[in-house]
Amino acid sequence: MDSVAAVRTEGLSKQYGKVTALGDLNLEISPGEVFGYLGPNGAGKTTTVRLLLGLIRPSAGRAEIFGLDCQRQAVEAHRHLSYVPGEASLWPALTGLETLHLLARTHGRSDPAYRDELIARFDFDPSKKVRAYSKGNRQKLLLIAGLMARPDLLVLDEPTAGLDPLMEQVFRNCIEEARSRGQAVLLSSHIMSEVEALCDRVGILRGGRLVDLGTMAELRHLSAVTVEATFDGLVPDLSGTPGVSAIQVVGPVLRCQVKGDIAPLLSALSVAGVHHLMSREPSLEELFLAHYGAAPELAPVGG
Amino acid sequence: MAESLTLPATGVGGRSASGWLVFARTTRAAARSGLLWGYVFAITVASSALGYSSAYKTLAQRQGLVAAFGSNAGLDAIVGPAHQLQTVPGYTAWKCLMWLSLLGAAWGILTATRLTRGEEDAGRWELLLAGGTTRRWAAAQAAGGLGAGLAVLWALTAVATAVVGRSSRVGIGVRPALFFGLTAVCGAVMFAAVGLVTSQLASTRRQAATYAAAVLGAAFAVRMVADSGLGLAWLRWASPLGWIEELQPLTGSRLLALIPILGWTFIFVGAAVFLARNRDVGAGLVGTRQAPSPRYRLLSNPIGLAARLGLGSAGSWAAGIGAMAFIVGLVAKQAGRALTASSSMERALARMSVGGSGAATYMGVGFLIVALMAAAAAAGQISAIRAEEAQGRIDNLLVRPVSRSRWLGGRLVVAVGVQIGFGLVAGLLGWLGCATEHTGLGFGTAVVSGLNSVIPAICLLGAGAAFLGALPRAATALTYGLLAWALLVGVVGGAIGSNHWVLDTSFFHQTPPAPAAAVDWQSATVLAGLAVVLAFLGSRALNRRDLAED
Repeated sequence: MDSVAAVRTEGLSKQYGKVTALGDLNLEISPGEVFGYLGPNGAGKTTTVRLLLGLIRPSAGRAEIFGLDCQRQAVEAHRHLSYVPGEASLWPALTGLETLHLLARTHGRSDPAYRDELIARFDFDPSKKVRAYSKGNRQKLLLIAGLMARPDLLVLDEPTAGLDPLMEQVFRNCIEEARSRGQAVLLSSHIMSEVEALCDRVGILRGGRLVDLGTMAELRHLSAVTVEATFDGLVPDLSGTPGVSAIQVVGPVLRCQVKGDIAPLLSALSVAGVHHLMSREPSLEELFLAHYGAAPELAPVGG
Repeated sequence: MAESLTLPATGVGGRSASGWLVFARTTRAAARSGLLWGYVFAITVASSALGYSSAYKTLAQRQGLVAAFGSNAGLDAIVGPAHQLQTVPGYTAWKCLMWLSLLGAAWGILTATRLTRGEEDAGRWELLLAGGTTRRWAAAQAAGGLGAGLAVLWALTAVATAVVGRSSRVGIGVRPALFFGLTAVCGAVMFAAVGLVTSQLASTRRQAATYAAAVLGAAFAVRMVADSGLGLAWLRWASPLGWIEELQPLTGSRLLALIPILGWTFIFVGAAVFLARNRDVGAGLVGTRQAPSPRYRLLSNPIGLAARLGLGSAGSWAAGIGAMAFIVGLVAKQAGRALTASSSMERALARMSVGGSGAATYMGVGFLIVALMAAAAAAGQISAIRAEEAQGRIDNLLVRPVSRSRWLGGRLVVAVGVQIGFGLVAGLLGWLGCATEHTGLGFGTAVVSGLNSVIPAICLLGAGAAFLGALPRAATALTYGLLAWALLVGVVGGAIGSNHWVLDTSFFHQTPPAPAAAVDWQSATVLAGLAVVLAFLGSRALNRRDLAED
């Protein structure tokens, strides 16, 4: 199984009339890899997930789960995965435990001991009927249902919506354990800190297209570094320095971004008599926003 | 996926524009639905009046009809007592009133629960309540919006009656036509009000509709007993359907019975508005108790889940069908005697494919009603299957090793099983009613007749499955539309002698009403085969399309 990609898509596309919900997606996720899938609302994240699950048909291209076609071999492919949606739609008349029992039996993988462990870790009361649960508790129910099968692939579409910070930490621990067991994870999320903390690789979607893909180090390598310099005297004009952009001056402090070779900036700073110098790689949020042309005001480097 | 909402800006002082949003939305939806059903009402009235005037032209023919129907307790139990049957208005009122009252009551229940509890289930109610309105004000607005739908229903029925009434062969004045229209929608008014209350009591739309249907079933049973010639005519005042009969439109127009009808409506609407504040949004006042311990019975696969989810509703329908069949069996002997004596009655029933004589003929009519009830339940089953997809619950199963065909097939197997159960219950309790009065209907004949009566419902399930596969978002409306068409053509069209090409489009017409007629095994096999083919095509279409949430 290890030689086969957990997820592979080739030219995967979905059109709704003239609207391209997803265009020409080529993606591969390996077993044991946690893959972060980022994009704002309407970027195509959920469309991708529903295509992988075989719930909707592609307009072009194909997708595989562990070598099994997501459309023609959907039932076999689903034996390898669990799906956790961001919005719970369950049977209101069943209790939490009845729901878990049904979903475990339907999946064919059942480990009551692990299920009970997850119930305890998520501090979940399974005796209530689904209609009586809050949004957060319904999300816990879905997470437990997804995790308890210990599938080869976890497909998570904004899985922590409605969870409090304590439960979010429990979730992160569960994902770390899944990775250590060799399970692959596709994590579609809005929460940058969650993706940054958990994911081995990240893909960023924009308008249905994958605009960036790589490890955090690879993404950062191609992106600008934030530099903050404090001067004893006048702050120099660095607007002509190669690679430098987004210059901000506040009193004796200069903040800017530098992309590519940093040597010209260092030369200019040393000539101007820099007193204090700090640099910081961009956060995932800054990388993400850069793709959407909405780069935030530069935060203090030490902040 | 939630329907998009445009919330008007909140005004300053007095009720804001958003404070009337529930009224506007409910009015639009109810009026649209009222328009559709209003046409069915209008066609029913027009076809009855014109059909009678052309089928019974001479005084002798009409007197023959009076002799058969005028004092027939058995038929009275089903369609209500007849008045002035020798006139077109009298016949039209007798022929249409109970059907339209029941049809209207079903419309009222479905529309009220859909536009209140259904909206709440979909999460749209919370959005509205977060605006410039309160729970009670929203419930009051929903009731007002339903009133618009009822007004459309009344207007179309009244206009159709008045237009047809202008014909010299019919002779119904404008004022009697307006009053008849009002009477015809009284069932819709009263049971829409019941639906508003059960939407406050129940936790889901389906549960709310089931509770309201139980009230309707009880009202029908009480009215049936009152009209059965058992000396219990006073019981008519204990049933909302009895009050409608007491109005006697087109033959006497007794306004007194409007008092309990108005009282019932105001009390139920008032109760709905009052209860709206006494519960949490999304929860019901009953049925929210927590299970003491989990019950895993049937929760092993999608078929088991379908059985468990449909058990309550199926039980309610089975109780209604069983009670109906038992009462029909009880009065069959007495009713059958009158039928045997009438040649004109024989002709009228022959057009509905009802032959034979005596108690068997009467039981045939009774099982025809069972067929209608079972078909209505089948339309509800299709609606429930669609709701699983529309609300995204199906995703939980289809992302596991469950194919779409297996899921739909499982749901249909359960639905057909429930229908066969209805047939057995009808046959068994019909036989029991007959046996109590020593009517002489054989056990085997009764059971086969009961099973025969659910064949149209099974055919409707097949058609519904095809709609689910090919046109998922319209599947529920199309299934109910097909039922209305089959009802109109098969029952009303049959009685007035429509063209056989038209009649053949109705699965009711294709199913002879045993035991009045011999079971047509060939026709039954064709209908069952058609259902299987349609279900197969529906399954294929489902496999080839995107899942469609609302």
